Amino acid sequence: MFRIESDRARFRDIVRGRIREDLRKYLSTGELIGRCGEQSVSIPLPQIELPHMVFGPNSKGGGEGGEGEGGEPREAGNGNGPPGPGAGEQEGKHILEVEVDIQELAEMLGEELGLPDIQPRGVNELDAEGGRYNGVRGTGPDSLRHFRRTYRSALKRSVASGLWDPSKPRVVPIRDDFRYRARRSCDTPDSSAVVFHMMDVSGSMGREQKEIVRIKAFWIDTWLRSQYRNLKVVYIVHDAVAKVVDQHTFFHLRESGGTKISSAYELCLKQMAEKYRPEDWNIYPFHYSDGDNWSARDTELCVSMLRDEILPRVNQFCYGQVKSAHGSGQFKKDLDNALGETENLITSGISERSDIPLSIRAFLGTGR
Amino acid sequence: MKLKTSLPAALKYQAVVIESAAREAGLDFFDVIFEILDARDVNGIASYGGFPVRYPSWRFGMEYERLDKGYTWGFSKIYELVINNDPTYAYLVRSNSLLEQKLVMAHVFGHADFFKHNVWFAPTNRHMMETMADHATRIRRIMDVVGQERVERFLDLALSLETLIDPYQPLRDMGASTAERLNVPLSERARRSLDALTSSAIDEAERVVEPAAWEGQLPSYDLLGFLSEHAPLESWEREILHILRREAYYFAPQRMTKIMNEGWASFWHSRLLTGGLLDASEILDFADTHSGATSSSGGINPYKLGIELFRYAEERKEDIWLLRRAHNDVSLIDYLVDEEFCERCLRPMLMPPKRVMRMTPAGPEWSVEEGEKPPWTELKARVLRDLAWGGLPQIQLIGVDQKGDGELNLVHHHDGRDLQFEQTSATLNNLSEIWKGPAELMSLEEGEGRLLVSRDGEVSSLDSTEARDRCGSDSDAA
Repeated sequence: MFRIESDRARFRDIVRGRIREDLRKYLSTGELIGRCGEQSVSIPLPQIELPHMVFGPNSKGGGEGGEGEGGEPREAGNGNGPPGPGAGEQEGKHILEVEVDIQELAEMLGEELGLPDIQPRGVNELDAEGGRYNGVRGTGPDSLRHFRRTYRSALKRSVASGLWDPSKPRVVPIRDDFRYRARRSCDTPDSSAVVFHMMDVSGSMGREQKEIVRIKAFWIDTWLRSQYRNLKVVYIVHDAVAKVVDQHTFFHLRESGGTKISSAYELCLKQMAEKYRPEDWNIYPFHYSDGDNWSARDTELCVSMLRDEILPRVNQFCYGQVKSAHGSGQFKKDLDNALGETENLITSGISERSDIPLSIRAFLGTGR
Repeated sequence: MKLKTSLPAALKYQAVVIESAAREAGLDFFDVIFEILDARDVNGIASYGGFPVRYPSWRFGMEYERLDKGYTWGFSKIYELVINNDPTYAYLVRSNSLLEQKLVMAHVFGHADFFKHNVWFAPTNRHMMETMADHATRIRRIMDVVGQERVERFLDLALSLETLIDPYQPLRDMGASTAERLNVPLSERARRSLDALTSSAIDEAERVVEPAAWEGQLPSYDLLGFLSEHAPLESWEREILHILRREAYYFAPQRMTKIMNEGWASFWHSRLLTGGLLDASEILDFADTHSGATSSSGGINPYKLGIELFRYAEERKEDIWLLRRAHNDVSLIDYLVDEEFCERCLRPMLMPPKRVMRMTPAGPEWSVEEGEKPPWTELKARVLRDLAWGGLPQIQLIGVDQKGDGELNLVHHHDGRDLQFEQTSATLNNLSEIWKGPAELMSLEEGEGRLLVSRDGEVSSLDSTEARDRCGSDSDAA
């Protein structure tokens, strides 16, 4: 329906405006996570309706059981509604779900927080040979023979050479007429990135702390996804030992126990050595913790690992410290003291949800 | 009958067969034009309220988004659309099976007969197809001159008031001027060209028309009409209000006769098809589709209630032709529903038996839970109340303050159901923005009198004994 499309586009514009307005709100609630598909996020938008004088909550016939939405005929708008299963499609509350491309969401995020585009590290710009069969040439294997083009050139030849007889329209291709599909290769610059989300799941990280991490990780993912076509995400949780887990576990796990941060860094390094070599990948480790570590000795170990092994290999290492009731917050201080002037180490403290946008900007604002 | 070539031969044939069966049965309608469309296009037209061309508004786009999602995910599907127009247009969905198309066509002839003969539709514009397109063009032109943003903003304000009309007014007016109405086809065109010549709205877009006097017009339910005459508007705004009001009045009878209209159409599709138009092989599918349309689960299904009403009327030897002519949903239910009908149809529909599962040592066990049983009169009263005034709150403009700020005084005739105050306040704000002055609404909230005052975009809610007396006594009278 061509006409309706322009109204739809207008509606979508308005919706985008709405989302942009509300972006700050989404940035500090977990609402959008879990609504996220491969390509798009569906965002619930209540109250974009025009207001009307309507009945309120006590209008449902005294509220006795069974009446449901009864009595209110669906708006007379469309002449006559559907007979059939869809007939009684009365809706109560009208919450509209709008799909927004992740790309677009990331753009909004970028605009809202003023994030610069990331400059991929030079060496990691891979030239991947992409190719599509969109060309034609005179030689090739039979499996790629282009039937129509073959006959077309045969027809052209027979017409040109005067062999064409309209009463007996027969075309026989000869060797020269055959055409084959050809692959045109093109080099597309491709860069890949891997994100390590490392989270401290020791006893001191509570629900709220995890939620903050979850929201932050979601937005960081969203942003990096918009910057890299090929983004891998590795989730690592640690208390006194570290392990790689899937996304669901990462966000829902609640362990308890001590904290040995070095265990996570070790695992991260191991992954880098085995799977995500720094020559091929842009690497972004993020570590979230409440700042308590097992011992000062382990912290020293962490610092030296970071300085000697991790930081030289990664684009940027981000440490986000979530404030918790029990945490001392010592680890951030230690990192800042030991490695404060290192360029690609960013630390940021989050004491409550409203700090999330700031902290995201601290992490991603450098454009590395 | 004119048929668009887009209708495949098999359907064209069925259309002719069904039409002649319908005429034989006594149905009488304007020419019916069937068009066949893809589901998405039908959704598009449905979002436009059944018309192929409407003025630009994001609201239609939103409706389309919703229908399209519903269709994509298989929640809902539109089988057909019929437009009250002469000729009557009906859109069929290409993906329907042949049986569904037959059913839908028979259904459409029922609607078409209803549109032509039900008295509430008598005052409606039968050339709405053209009028809608004309409205669309006018609003587009206004947009060209004034700018889309401003027009859109005003449309949003005005559309939020679109329910504030008096659905009974057109018929009343018609009674007063029947003679004049008889000449409509000729004078309609003349009037339109005259309008186009004289209004020349756009050239004078900046001119503000002096409000006329409103003595003798109040009290009135026709708020849109009042505003379009008396609000201090620029002439393009006034024109938009006129347009929206015309469209609102065109749709109003459909709101008032939803149950009858669907009932009448279902009554006839069932009667016609089972009267010899079905192949033996189609009977089961018909029964399946028909019962799908008339199923009900805890709420009023207009198809079901409507068809049962007409069948009951026929059983009781009522003249169903007269009923379909003279009534609307409320008056028909009031006239027909007695204890027998209520127990047979209304109660199961409104209060379906509740099945509950209990765990017993032997395993889960289903039983029917006896709920409370209100007397049939109460059920009937409840249905009538829900349907009254097209299912909308009854809001009346009772006066305009002459001395002070010229505020509008509105009263909500309370029938036991409170307003949704958040939305009501927003609507009141919109009203006061159009009126360019304060607006007040008296209502009840949980039995207490309440006065909502919208002034400069802010709504304050005050306790008010006057509101309690006014709204309370009205609800007793009703």
